[in-house]
Amino acid sequence: MKKFLLTAASIATLALAAAPAFADGELHIYNWGDYTNPKLIEKFEKQFSVKVTLDSYDSNETMLSKVRAGNSGYDIVVPSDYTVAIMVKDGLLEQTEPNAMANFKNMEPKYIHSYWDDGRHFSVPWQVGLTAFSVDTAKYKGDINTYAILFKTPDELKGQVNMLDDMTSIMHAAERYLGQPRCSADKENLKKVSELLEAAKPNWKTFSYDTITKLTSHDVAVSQNWNGYSWRSRQVVGTVQFAFPKEGIEGFMDNVAVLKGAKNLDNAKAFQNFVMDPENAALISEFARYQNGIVGSKPFMDKDFANAPEINPPAGSPEPEFVPPCDPAVIEIYNKIWTKLKG
Amino acid sequence: MVDVKAQPGFKTITMLCLALLYTPILILVLFAFNAGDLAATWGGFSAKWFGVAFSNPEFHSAAKNTLAISAVATLVSTTFATMAAIGMTRVKAWPGLSAALMVVNLPLMVPEIITAVATLSFFAMIAGAFGLNFGIGNIMIAHIVFCIPFAFMPIRARLEDMDMTLENAAADLYATPWQAFRRITLPLLMPGVASGAALAFIVSFDDFTITQLVAGPGQTTLPLFIWNQIRRPITPEINAISTILLFVSVAFISLSFLIARTKKT
Repeated sequence: MKKFLLTAASIATLALAAAPAFADGELHIYNWGDYTNPKLIEKFEKQFSVKVTLDSYDSNETMLSKVRAGNSGYDIVVPSDYTVAIMVKDGLLEQTEPNAMANFKNMEPKYIHSYWDDGRHFSVPWQVGLTAFSVDTAKYKGDINTYAILFKTPDELKGQVNMLDDMTSIMHAAERYLGQPRCSADKENLKKVSELLEAAKPNWKTFSYDTITKLTSHDVAVSQNWNGYSWRSRQVVGTVQFAFPKEGIEGFMDNVAVLKGAKNLDNAKAFQNFVMDPENAALISEFARYQNGIVGSKPFMDKDFANAPEINPPAGSPEPEFVPPCDPAVIEIYNKIWTKLKG
Repeated sequence: MVDVKAQPGFKTITMLCLALLYTPILILVLFAFNAGDLAATWGGFSAKWFGVAFSNPEFHSAAKNTLAISAVATLVSTTFATMAAIGMTRVKAWPGLSAALMVVNLPLMVPEIITAVATLSFFAMIAGAFGLNFGIGNIMIAHIVFCIPFAFMPIRARLEDMDMTLENAAADLYATPWQAFRRITLPLLMPGVASGAALAFIVSFDDFTITQLVAGPGQTTLPLFIWNQIRRPITPEINAISTILLFVSVAFISLSFLIARTKKT
């Protein structure tokens, strides 16, 4: 028994002693799951002789809860647009001034100004995506670039539509179709949104995030979707096309930011500069299959993807809209409409 | 005596329940052997996704973390649980005994998410106040705490079932309490200890909620790894990894069950 106890105690001590010391030459990255190209990490480790650890989260909220508790040990996080705004407001991010970094010249000018980090004092783009929908063009020959596909579904597609199980993106899509402003608190407007959704619902089959499986198993012919996922679906079913609705299209951006009090601040800054290099940005896109907001990265991507229609909007399609979260009062009404719709 | 198996509808209901419980798992295992790229479309039989999983460095590091954490949590929690069980069955009843029993079993009753949030704030606080961070030791400590009741239950059950006359005989023959414990009680108790250890191992091995909140840089475990992979379209690689996890779990549960059963007779 004594021996057993001793062994247990010594293993426990060893384990505690083996805890990583936060020395120089390390970088702790906390990113969305399956979103980071291992080649990118390898390259950064070689170039800066830094040991990188990579851990992943499943939602902005998981990441925020750990960061808010404090002393998370991470240096780099990759929050989505609205989460950057929250983290800046709450003082959770280090003001690293990416706008003064060497590679900042590569950033697409339109992404320098944004509602979440205007002038880029905290964050740099990781991936930029679009939220619209995909249509299997083997099933429908008409024009797909309109939200009418979702809300006034043509006969051929009735009962074969999957919507994202996501209140905000459906509300905004409806508002665009009706030509209303986003997050409008106007009662008349909200009533029209609700009526439109109720009328469209009988033509929908499911609410699910699993869009690729839905499309590639031919369970549905239309799915609300992100352009990166649409690209992946097309690799399996060649006739899946991503729509760029003329009424407007939603954008989202995940951003590389440094946590306040990061132990490896210099490495973290080096990483922010590193991902703004077009060649490195191309590595990120090749893995995650979205655009990266960096000028000149396309020549470094494989040709198929660089020329893919999903990341090259046709001439005349609208600029992506990045919508800040609505007022709580509006969200409350959205919730009611949503509950009724799903009920 | 009424035979439950003879009740009308028994077979149907049993079959239905078993099917509901196990069909999804069977399908998951089946699709681990899918040759195609999608987790939901069958593309022929192949074991290639196990190869993909085994050559994935993230899987390696997650597996290493998981094994280290589970091993330490099992050893330490089983030791504590054994001491607690003896202290509650082989001594004169003492005031506060039932309160102590409650405390030992508390982790079973507190909702896991509450323990998780509390543990997260606790470690964040001691890191902030004293600069203490045990790295992966943080997860080990958290696991030890909630593994104790799982190890405790079979050990205590075994102690209560054991024949006290053997221990009394040892004492009659002038064995010191330590000798009696070392030569008589512990060998007889071993099946309970082993079964408790197996349970503790599996509880630690599978834990998601607490680990997710406590894990720091480089401390991703297998359940966390799987969860975070699901953001992307699920490939059969996830099925393969889940299948490996499932087999380890089943192996340990069966082991615990077998040890507890065979040695008793």
